[in-house]
Amino acid sequence: MSLVDFLQTWIIAFFTLSLFSFLYKDNPFYKFAEHIFAGLSAGYYVGLIWHSVIIQQMVDPMLQDGRWWLIFPGILGAMMFSRFSKNYGWVSRLSLAFVMGNTAGIFLLSELHGKVLPQIQSTMLSVDLKQPIGDLVLSIIIIAGVITTLIFFYFSKEHKGLLGGAARVGIWFIMISFGAHFGYTVMARISLLIGQVQFLINDWIGGTLQALL
Amino acid sequence: MILAYGLLIIAGIVLLYLAFKTGDRRYIYLAVAFYVIFPVLITLNLPAEISPEVRQLYEAVDSLPDSSVVLLTFDYYPSTLAETEPMSRAALHHLFRKNCRIFTMTTIPLGGPSIAERVTRELAGQYGKVYGVDYVNLGYKANYVAVLKGMGSSIESIYPADNTGTSLDKLPIMKDIRNYGDVDFIFAVSDNSIIDYWMSIVNAQYGIKIGTGVTAVMAPRYYAYLSSGQMTGMLGGMKGAADYEKLVGKPALAAKGMAAQSLVHLFIILSVIAGNLIFFIEKRSRRREGHR
Repeated sequence: MSLVDFLQTWIIAFFTLSLFSFLYKDNPFYKFAEHIFAGLSAGYYVGLIWHSVIIQQMVDPMLQDGRWWLIFPGILGAMMFSRFSKNYGWVSRLSLAFVMGNTAGIFLLSELHGKVLPQIQSTMLSVDLKQPIGDLVLSIIIIAGVITTLIFFYFSKEHKGLLGGAARVGIWFIMISFGAHFGYTVMARISLLIGQVQFLINDWIGGTLQALL
Repeated sequence: MILAYGLLIIAGIVLLYLAFKTGDRRYIYLAVAFYVIFPVLITLNLPAEISPEVRQLYEAVDSLPDSSVVLLTFDYYPSTLAETEPMSRAALHHLFRKNCRIFTMTTIPLGGPSIAERVTRELAGQYGKVYGVDYVNLGYKANYVAVLKGMGSSIESIYPADNTGTSLDKLPIMKDIRNYGDVDFIFAVSDNSIIDYWMSIVNAQYGIKIGTGVTAVMAPRYYAYLSSGQMTGMLGGMKGAADYEKLVGKPALAAKGMAAQSLVHLFIILSVIAGNLIFFIEKRSRRREGHR
């Protein structure tokens, strides 16, 4: 382990333990680590955007390739800063209008073509009487889940009678979905803890002992 | 080993009892820490079945012809490395072994480019692969929607140079790779909703097969893409990564972490059951006291 790696490992371990210390109670180590993280992230992000957007995507192509028209998105971007002025704040709305129109145009097509239509198609065509009985039951459950969940979110008529019954079944599907999400979320959070514990035991303690012995 | 399991169970029950008795949640944290640290120190082999969606992704990659062009994305932040990095590593083992031509990219500014650089160079070294010939790291570009759409027309227009600043026309691997039409498979590893855009922009509009590796938090919502046949396999969280590691024959950090994962899950199930039991017992005793 080189000296740089050694120091890096110790710095990571220090900040990991500082952040974990919050589990016992709030303390200066936790606050210090939190502030360092916020400051470093902001600084890194500003530097990266300056280099990868302003320089690489605007200044360099304009000066080196003669793509002078890139000045227009540059001006639109600069107009966003007018929000800091009380008198000229309205100028930023022109840039925002461009972003909103552009985004709506792109996503309208991609969401419809890539998500809504294929999902509806796959739900409608999932039942096939020739498929094995297990798959057939699952297909029917999926269709029932989609229809009853949609009924639950239909608020133009009071949830009574048949509509109310279907909405109650819809709630069950939603609850099962929440349960699955919660289970996976537990797994995700524990995975992050496992990753840091593996680092502390293998890299920090193990690496330090290896370097010393 | 039986003694170890016995001690683990007793410690968990004692800590759970103390947590309920004192109302101090720190006993729960201590128990979770205990169940995570113990399997890292002592190897526990708990059985685990390989998920069908992981096998589907493995088989899709395995069926690619020799020298296929694969785009591997590193769309994740350092905060989720425990789940996502093992996926990227296992994918690279599989792809390098199959002599695929790999180009990597990221849409994540914080950490994405350096993680891609570190992991690809380390794994490429193990397989004797040459940078610029067998693999290339394109790095980061801002505005992912524009990047994903623009690469459909020309990759070079979005990435004129790789992560080190070398022009793409100087890299032999990029000679035949102009746009998505030249890409055989996309292996997108991500910890955020960019997977939706890979599916709705790249898969839907260009028809390229996409397999994904996502964090466990994200996994449930992407089963819809799997069941509709839009997505070609998925690795969900550490379990997905561990399964893929097993399939490629390189069990590493994710596979080792699964014992801890299982123990903590058992403890949480026990806590939920115990918590509910206590809740109902107390409710019943309060009702009885009310009747008196």
